[in-house]
Parts: sequence; C-alpha cells; structure tokens
Amino acid sequence: MNEKRASLGYDFIKGFIKENPTFALAVGMCPTLAVTTSLVNGFWMGIAVIFVLTFSNVFVSLLRKVIPDEIRVPIFIILIATPVVIVELVMKAYMPAMYNILGIFVPLIVVNCIILHRAESFAHKNPILNSVMDALGSGMAFTLNLMVIGAIREFLGTGQLAIGSLVFPKAPLFEPAVVMLTPPGGFITLGVLMALLNIVVARAGKRKQTESPRG
Amino acid sequence: MGDRLLVTPPPHVKSAKTVQGIMLDVVIALCPAAIAGIVLFGFRAALIILASVVSAVASEAIYQRAVKKQVTINDFSAVITGLLLALTLPPNVPVWIPVIGAAFAIVVVKQLFGGLGNNFLNPALAARAFLLAAWPLHMTQDWVNPMSYDAATSATPLAGFNATGQTALTFKEMLLGQRLGSIGETCILALLLGGIYLLARDVIDYRTPLGYLGTLAVGTWIFGKPGELFQGNPLSAIFLGGAFIGAFFMATDYVTSPVTPRGRLYMGIGCGLITLVIRLWGGYPEGVTYAILFMNLVTPLIDKYVVPRYYGSGHDKMARKGGGR
Amino acid sequence: MEVLGIILAGVLINNFVFMQYLGICPFLGVSKNLDMATGMSGAVIFVMTLASAVTAVLEQYVLKPMELEYLRTIAYILVIASFVQLVEIFMKKTLPGLYQALGIYLPLITTNCAVLGAAMLNVTKSYGVALSTLNGFAGALGWSLAIIIFAGIRERWKLMDIPATLDGFPLALISTGLMSLAFLGFSGLFSNLVK
Repeated sequence: MNEKRASLGYDFIKGFIKENPTFALAVGMCPTLAVTTSLVNGFWMGIAVIFVLTFSNVFVSLLRKVIPDEIRVPIFIILIATPVVIVELVMKAYMPAMYNILGIFVPLIVVNCIILHRAESFAHKNPILNSVMDALGSGMAFTLNLMVIGAIREFLGTGQLAIGSLVFPKAPLFEPAVVMLTPPGGFITLGVLMALLNIVVARAGKRKQTESPRG
Repeated sequence: MGDRLLVTPPPHVKSAKTVQGIMLDVVIALCPAAIAGIVLFGFRAALIILASVVSAVASEAIYQRAVKKQVTINDFSAVITGLLLALTLPPNVPVWIPVIGAAFAIVVVKQLFGGLGNNFLNPALAARAFLLAAWPLHMTQDWVNPMSYDAATSATPLAGFNATGQTALTFKEMLLGQRLGSIGETCILALLLGGIYLLARDVIDYRTPLGYLGTLAVGTWIFGKPGELFQGNPLSAIFLGGAFIGAFFMATDYVTSPVTPRGRLYMGIGCGLITLVIRLWGGYPEGVTYAILFMNLVTPLIDKYVVPRYYGSGHDKMARKGGGR
Repeated sequence: MEVLGIILAGVLINNFVFMQYLGICPFLGVSKNLDMATGMSGAVIFVMTLASAVTAVLEQYVLKPMELEYLRTIAYILVIASFVQLVEIFMKKTLPGLYQALGIYLPLITTNCAVLGAAMLNVTKSYGVALSTLNGFAGALGWSLAIIIFAGIRERWKLMDIPATLDGFPLALISTGLMSLAFLGFSGLFSNLVK
C-alpha cells in the first residue's frame, strides 16, 4: 500500500524534472514556441493539453490489454483526436477570442508529440491511476513551462505582464523589444533557457560527483 | 593562440599571416569610415562607436572569463565586431542600443557556439538584424543631418530612390557621404579607401565586392526605374544605402563566407540579387543586412556543393555533384 | 500570379519553420547531416503535397456538403495517417529504390505537425483543391530549404569545438532563432502578390 502510493506520487512528480516534456524530452516544441507570446496564452494552451492528455492516457490505459500491438498507433491517434475535438468545440463556444489567438495550434494538439509519447511510453503499459498521475504531472509541467516562457517573452516584448484586466506594472518598465514576440525571439528565448538549465545541471552534477562519487 | 583560431573547417587563412595581423588590417581599413562618420554626424557618432566597441570587448572578456576559457580580446576580432555594428547604426540611437547589440553579437552569435571561427552568421550583422526587429523605430528614424548635427526622422534618400529610381543628391554629396544614413555607410570615399587597402594587403578577395556591387548596379540599371526597363541609375544604387560597406567589409568575412574564388564570386552575386529584390519589391528600404545574412546561411552548402574539394577522401560523391567532372 | 505568390510565401516569406513554428521537432531532430535532411525533405515534399490534395478533396466534397466541419481534426488526422501508411505500402511494392531512400522517414511524418498544419492552413485561407495542393507543396519546399540549410551548418559543427553543455537542443534552437532573424528580411516581399 505504502509503496503503491509512493509510486503514484513519483508518476506525478517525474513529469516536472526527470521527464519534463520541454526541457528533458524536448517534445511538443511547436506549441511551446508558437503560443508563448504571453503568459495567459501559454496557460490556456497548457490547460487544453492537460485535458487531452488525461483523457487519452485514461483510455489508452483502460484499453491497453485489448489494443493489438501492430495497429496501436492509429488507435492512439483516434483516442487523442476525440478529446481534441471536444476542446476545440468548447473553446470555440466559450472563449472564441482565445480560440482565435491559439489558432491552428488547438487542432494541432492531436499531433503534439507529448501526448503520443505519454500514451506509447507510459499509459500503454501502466494501470489507470498511474496513467492519470502521469498525465497530470506531464501536463502541468508543460503548462508551467509555457507560462514561464510566455511570461519572459511577454515581459521583455511588451515591458509588462497582463493577466486578464490586471496589468503589472501599469506602464511599460523599459522600451520593450518587440522581437521577443516574433519567431526569432521565441527560438532564442527557449534556446537560452535550455542552455542555462544545461549549465546548471552540469554544475550540479559535477558538485554531486565530487561530494559523493556514485557508479 | 593564433594557432588555435586557425583550426576552422575551411582552411582560409594564408600561412604567412596571423589572425591578429589580418584583424588589425581590417581595423585600420575601417578607420577612414569611422572618422568620416564622426566628422559628418558629430559627437553622437563617436559616442555610439565607443559604446559599441567597449561593449563588444567587455562582453568577450566577461563571457570567456565566466566559462573559464582563455580571454582572446587582443586578437581584435571583438573590436571589429563592435566597430562594424556601430558603423551600421543610425547616429542618433540611444546609447544602450549599441551596448545591447554588441553584447548580443559577441555572446549569442559568436561565443555560445565556441567563439571565433564557429559562428555561422556575421556577428555584427546578426546583431543589427536583432536590433532592427527589437526596436524598429530607433533603427529607422534616429538620423542626424550631416554637418549641421541636428536630428532628423525622415526616410533616408534610399527609400525615395527605390520608389522613383532617382535621387536629388549630387555625385559629390554621395561620394563624401553628405546624406542621412548610418554612421559608417554614407562616405563612399572613406569606404573605398579602406576597401583598396584591404585589397592591396590581400586580406579580401576582389570577387565578392565586385560580384556584389556589379550585380546590384546591373540589376538596378535594368529594373530600377518603375515602369521602364534599362533606365535605372546604377551608380546611385551602389552609393546609397549600405551596399558599399557590406560588399567590402561584411560579405568578405572569412568565417561566414565561402572559401574558394568561385564560391566568393557566388557570394557576391547572391548578396547583390537579394539586396536588389528586397530594395525594389520588399518590405524594407534596405536589404544589405538580410542579403548577407542569408548568404552566410548557405555558405556551408556553397562550400560543399558548388566547389569541388580536392583534399581528403570520401568526398568523391560531393565532388562529382558539385564540379560535374 | 497567385501561383507565384503562394510559392514565394511558402518558401521564403511565411517559411513553415522560421515564421509559422510548424514541423520544428523533425527540423531539430533530423538536421544533423545533409543526407538525412535531404531524405526527409523528399519524403515531406511527397507526403505534404499529396496530403494537402487529399484533405482538400475531403473538405470540399465530404465535410462541407455534409456540414461535418466540426469533425475536421479527427477526419484529417485519420486521412493523413492512413495515407502515409498507404504510401509506405505502395512505395515498398512499386518503387523499392525510392522506398529505400525515404522509407525510414515515412512513419515519422504522421506526427510531423507541418503536414496537418498545412492542411489546416489551407482551410483558414479557404483555398480550393488546386491551390491547397500548391500551398502544401510550397510549404514543404520551404521546410526542406530550412532543414537543408541547417544541416549544412550543423555538419560543420562536427569539425568544431562546440561547447559540450550547449550542444544539441539549446544551440539548435538558438541557431534556428538566428536563421529566422535572417529570414525576417523577406517579410513584406511582393506584398501585392502574397496574402
């Protein structure tokens, strides 16, 4: 019992660091770059992905003993496309403005490698509760990544951060660099973030090695 | 240290010269244009040049110290990057623009890839493109009237020339650089002086500037006048805008341009064509920056396919494809 | 002239990789050497052109008349996935040479978001079957240009002293950013031809 609970927790946590979709696995790059022109856009894209991921992981896990191995990928794609259509319809009906901003990247969730990756590498082999935790962990980590990248680009590109009608600070703090909202700014921001992370990880690894040498 | 820098994939540096010597030649060749820029546009121009060079050298030193590499600021390459960037900026931009631009050129475009010889874009031009995308208003409106030193926000003469095919400037005004423009691009006489020095010292290959300016001149002659063919003004096309400084000092950069004579000619022609297309049909008044950057991107392909390689083994397939022999 | 505009837009002005963030994963993944990049490009040009045609036919003659547009995503991805399978089987049987060259890249293409992206963009631009096919072809050409240029640059890195902690995704992304900076010069080109 105890062990099982620990592994559920691990399945959730691993999405943030060891199997972080953006920074460790480098999957789902297109939306990570395309919708991160602001914190709020990143957040809603993330929510959509969490929903699709949980839905698909649950059904893949439920049907894992029934799905024939040879045709599993087409079946996964159907199991992924269904919640994507639901997300599309709900967003179009209740938040048309956000639906227009995210544009074709909402239907493109269906080919977002994160979702197929989690189905193939986890939900296909694990029980349903673990698969839910896995989906929530990966999805929330992805959302967090999008929000951080979105916040950086929005702040540098507009000089402020806007969440709904709240704007911090009221006037831009400096002359905003509009390049941050364009593709070059997106690529360079994500690249520099990954580079910094790699350097930090390399430094930490070195320190660990000198402190407690492991095999 | 000079030896380390020579280990770049294309064997482009002639044995008798050191990297430092070549770089020093380029700095000397840029001096007339820098002095002309200060004379024409005044104290502001001097400040921009100083800020850019200091920022470039400091960024190089700080980055190399931070990653515990040997500090190579005395090879003059950072000085050249800073100087070149400043010469392509409008004279009246705020001082933080060259500071940020030079740091971007040195750290992001050059040092992250391992330093001199590893960058695939000309650092100064990539930084200029970055600044143009980041603060477009400063980069297109912060001009200074030559000799009177007061600020001007109107379009440069090139914009009018692109639209009508003619300019009100006299030949002498264009030669001496008495027009709105970036600090180092206007004085053709000074640039020519520097270019001839580099040619005489065998630092650059005449094919690149010849191909560049020749293509641009002929193309403008053919298409330059709206509605009429063969009525354009080829001389104004190469004297206005940044084609002269680009052709002599940027398209000839060793690291980011082709190695062989034929490749260098293609580099020049490609730059000329893209500059022409952007000027006449593009969204920007000037295309020199983007033309050279695009040709930088295809330089590895030019080196690989257009020009057969004779050394090394295992390149037979490429040699056949490229040379057709 | 519309034809020329679509091709220029796809290849240079609205390049899939540099301006529209489409097909980034395979762009970063398969660009380490030129042979692989050209192989992948061939496969993408082939599949994307035909997938654009097939999805446009589906849109015009099935989804639109039957008012099933809300099922577009699911219908498109199924058509593309089965189309890729079909191409693979067909190629294996009839064009073994081409299959050997492109075969390993075909399964990867189903999840290349550029293919579905191209089909979706055709809908937003309300192109008919012919223009959709052309747009898919132009987009694929642009994607190929991007990956071949990048592979040329990356091949050189093998001979260079690239900082180990940055090699891989960080530098690939920063390079892509710098490349897209260079491609910004084409924005606004032939604005009277390009939508």
